[in-house]
Amino acid sequence: MTDAAISLQSDADQRAIAALRRKNAVWRRILKDPAAAIAAFFLLLLVASAILAPWIAPFDPYASNMRYRLCGIGSARCAQFLLGADQTGRDMVSRLLFGLRSTLTIGVIAVLIGGGIGTVIGLTAAYYRRLDAPLMRLVDVLLSFPPILFGLAIAAVVGAGLPGLILALCVTSIPTIARISRGAAASVMQQEYMEAGRAVGLGDGALIWRYLAINCWPTILIYITLQLGQAILLGAALSFLGLGAQPPVAELGSMAADGRKFLTIAPHVSTLPCAVIFLVVLAFNVLGDALRDALDPKLRQ
Amino acid sequence: MARHIAHRLMVSLPVLLGVLLIGFLLLQVVPTDPATVSAGPSATKADIDAIRQEMGLDKPLYVQFGKYIARVLQLDLGRSMISNRTVSEEIGNTLGPTVELMLACLIWAAPLGIVLGTLAARKRGTLIDRCIMALSVMGVSVPVFWVGLLLIQYIGGSGWLPFQGRDGPLWTLAGAKSIILPAITLGAIFVGPVARMTRTSLLETLNADYVRTARAKGASDWRVTIRHALRNALIPVVTLIGLQIGFLLGGSVVTETMFSWPGVGRMAVGAITSSDFPLAQGAILVLAIGFMLVNLLVDVLYAYLDPRIARA
Repeated sequence: MTDAAISLQSDADQRAIAALRRKNAVWRRILKDPAAAIAAFFLLLLVASAILAPWIAPFDPYASNMRYRLCGIGSARCAQFLLGADQTGRDMVSRLLFGLRSTLTIGVIAVLIGGGIGTVIGLTAAYYRRLDAPLMRLVDVLLSFPPILFGLAIAAVVGAGLPGLILALCVTSIPTIARISRGAAASVMQQEYMEAGRAVGLGDGALIWRYLAINCWPTILIYITLQLGQAILLGAALSFLGLGAQPPVAELGSMAADGRKFLTIAPHVSTLPCAVIFLVVLAFNVLGDALRDALDPKLRQ
Repeated sequence: MARHIAHRLMVSLPVLLGVLLIGFLLLQVVPTDPATVSAGPSATKADIDAIRQEMGLDKPLYVQFGKYIARVLQLDLGRSMISNRTVSEEIGNTLGPTVELMLACLIWAAPLGIVLGTLAARKRGTLIDRCIMALSVMGVSVPVFWVGLLLIQYIGGSGWLPFQGRDGPLWTLAGAKSIILPAITLGAIFVGPVARMTRTSLLETLNADYVRTARAKGASDWRVTIRHALRNALIPVVTLIGLQIGFLLGGSVVTETMFSWPGVGRMAVGAITSSDFPLAQGAILVLAIGFMLVNLLVDVLYAYLDPRIARA
């Protein structure tokens, strides 16, 4: 049926529509902002280096050598280490790469699971009107808790460590994504094709999956990505408190906490991981701001 | 107004129940059996059973939960497994410093944020606006502990200001000096959000009819901004500052731990890492309930400042 509708348009029309679509694509509008373009490029670079860490890291991040203990940046004692060494003589560059890798992995896993659950809640609330109020009240309850309290409570119940950390980050991202996806789905529910789908006799499952979810996922995915910045910041804070990743695991937050004891003699051991966290979260936030501007037609004018 | 407050209380009831449930759960995961512990090492199995009955541990979980709520209402939160002092006593000792730290942070960060936000809104689109907004996004992206580490390294390390613990009440010189670095650390992450909220809110009110009227009457630019626009723009800002208390709470847990500030957040972290479940339960309960109360207060304040809200 849709094929017939499309074939009515001439080739030129189709090309014009495609060109217009490309021109107005959200990502194109975002990249017009130089700060956002830099942030996006920087994030791509960071993600690539995190993925490739085992291959591009110059040394083993867990190989200690007390001879290079707390060796400063550019010191002749450890000229082979670009950014010096930490308290057990491990190469900082390699540790930072692997730290970034685990920090990002923890965030991605947590936000994807939490975002998935949030999406299911949001779509269900938008589709089944009867469930809307109770589900959204539940989301309000979750949203009214400060994220750090989830972190503390979960760490207290399951114990300090990675499973608890991921669970906490996951729970904190559920309500935000649930709200966003409900909003996105509610506007899709108004579309005529939803009604058409129902008239054709599609079941609830098919309607939700093939019509509703497929039309909302770009928005939801974008917000899930942006949630990552917040998740990384919270995860780093919990690890810094000793409630997340445990040493010797290379994770940026716990690396910063570890290096704290040597702040006066070797500040780079804790400052470098902090700086990396800051840059990652900053890039996510700059991108997020640009996106909000691009998606909000009120501000575009 | 009364109806609005009543409505808000009803909404917070499920949240409160959730908080209590988490506290109750925390006490359930204690790896040692409380009846065995209080019976002592020489107790027989019959003795332990008797004590279990006496403590109500043989009852179904929902009955125990009900009893737990009753105990919390009487401020009986159990005893710390490490210091053996009552949890209420421990909380009583730590709550003051936490509130002190939050107020010390708000007192400089909120006004500074409002001033920066006003400036950015007035100079919208200029370099000043861009710089302030860039600073604000940096402020929300920076890990609190990095700010703290830098301050400890450069200011604490040079011996200018103390950075270990609380040296006394705020009104003594030593006490006031010891709160400076923690308050700067915590405030650093708070200025940005406040500046941004003020800017957004002010930009909206600057387009309002009454602002145009004030301009038409010949009031000066800054007078219009401050007397007419800002006063109305601040209403949502007050609410948003209140809602950001949760964000501030996260920062204060880290700040307290870094600066050995004897507050509830540091106590909670310590209790969790040392598996002191009753204390962790109490600390989390107090933080959550405190947060709820602040939100409630802000909501009521908002309705008072802007009567349209209560009527809606």
